[in-house]
Amino acid sequence: MAKELLKGNEALAEAALRGGCTFYSGYPITPQTEVMEYLSDRMPEIGRTFIQAESEIAAISQVMGAAWTGEKALTSSSGPGVSLKQEGISYIAHNNFPCVILNVCRWGNGLGSLDSAQTDYNRETRGGGQGDYRCIVMAPASIQEGVDMMYDAYDVAEEYHNPVVILTEAMLGQMIEGVNLPEFKPVKKLGLIRPYGRAGKDYMEKYAVHYNRMVDELERWESIQTEDADYVLVAFGMPSRVCTDVVSILRGKGEKVGLIRPINLWPFPFKAFEGIRPKAFITVETNETGQLVDDVAIAAKKSGAGDVPVYCLATHHECADEEAVLDYFEKVKSGSVKERY
Amino acid sequence: MKEIIFAGFGGQGVLTGGLILSFMAAEKDLETTWMPAYGATMRGGKANCVVKMGEVGGERIGNPLMGHADALIAMNEPSLDYLGKTKKGAVVIVNSHGVDENYEYPSDKKVYKVDSVELAEKVSNEQGQNLVMLGAMMKVTELYPKDEAIDLMCKFFASKGKEKYNEKNIAAFLAGYDAV
Repeated sequence: MAKELLKGNEALAEAALRGGCTFYSGYPITPQTEVMEYLSDRMPEIGRTFIQAESEIAAISQVMGAAWTGEKALTSSSGPGVSLKQEGISYIAHNNFPCVILNVCRWGNGLGSLDSAQTDYNRETRGGGQGDYRCIVMAPASIQEGVDMMYDAYDVAEEYHNPVVILTEAMLGQMIEGVNLPEFKPVKKLGLIRPYGRAGKDYMEKYAVHYNRMVDELERWESIQTEDADYVLVAFGMPSRVCTDVVSILRGKGEKVGLIRPINLWPFPFKAFEGIRPKAFITVETNETGQLVDDVAIAAKKSGAGDVPVYCLATHHECADEEAVLDYFEKVKSGSVKERY
Repeated sequence: MKEIIFAGFGGQGVLTGGLILSFMAAEKDLETTWMPAYGATMRGGKANCVVKMGEVGGERIGNPLMGHADALIAMNEPSLDYLGKTKKGAVVIVNSHGVDENYEYPSDKKVYKVDSVELAEKVSNEQGQNLVMLGAMMKVTELYPKDEAIDLMCKFFASKGKEKYNEKNIAAFLAGYDAV
């Protein structure tokens, strides 16, 4: 059967329902609004709860309450809206409540702009709110991959009792691709959740076990032709698609180039870097200052690859095209750009 | 992989025109991406979408952005800004109603001029200007045989509950197809 053509935002919204989502609360913001718009119609149709909250803070608070009682809760927003939700996310993580947060990322600090970007990498992978916790962060590179992630997100969130953030990009939310939608999962609710409790020795011991399990079990990535690579590109989401093309182009010219594509951004896929010995790593990111590059530098060191230089091509508010990556690659080879680490 | 840019003003049906191309590819089990111009440009001003399609089953599409198009459908003059995003030898279907007749095109493009307004009016389907251009593009590029393209286009509109316009839409498609 032919795949269904679906817009990214709508496809992920439907996938959430098929994966078991029973409760949504959110507040509109471009480029995410189609998620809400779709759910506002679809959730009442199948007997699930949709709320357009009065603010982002109300939305995340409602998600926390719903998650506490065992509902499979979802909220979605973009950069500025997810910032407003951080206090709630911190409470949710502290209390080991599972839920899913979708960030359709747009460029920017402050209000930012409507451009597609990856500027929220650091916030999502470092917990984002007050305290010391992490969200499991997944970053799809295609609408189908986003659908598959969203479909399984409640299983992951409930298995690890932790919030899951799905970090997409404006372009991925607005574009259309062919998608196979999975069947509806039977909804099994957890029931009332018992939080780990207030901070203290007991809490810290429980959280350490919880944290280590996520780190040990949730690395996910795709490696493309890295085994013999002299240069390894590292990119996630939309730039990773461009880098896939660049690897083919450069391999066609006899250059030994590969790509590591982190699929889960947290925990970071350190294992992807084990056993490879390139001359350099090059990150390609849609932001200003480079964020992924910091994790790649740690990964390079941790892998035992020695003092391998790590470069960063940060292309501001526009996703890099093949020419930009090829041009930067030549500069790395000729030594005319400086490594970040 | 094939890449086609469909560009014009908001309201000229360029996003739908591109979506029909993606639908055709998906119906043939080919990978496809449809990327709209995103942001403020969607409101009234310039609008465009770029469609990419695999040529064999399973061919993965990397970058979905505009870059090296095989064809550009230009419904107005600002759309010709995207000539720089087309390959050498690319097909350019120009709406002669909306573009200066003395416009100087790069010599490495195959340019076909089609008056989509006049042709759409002639078949009493003023809203079908995008389909006129689609028909012309289909003939020149031989992307799909005529009858197959028409069947798939009708299937697209049927999937949107608009099959009652199929006859008028076929007339618009053929007006463009026969004009080049």
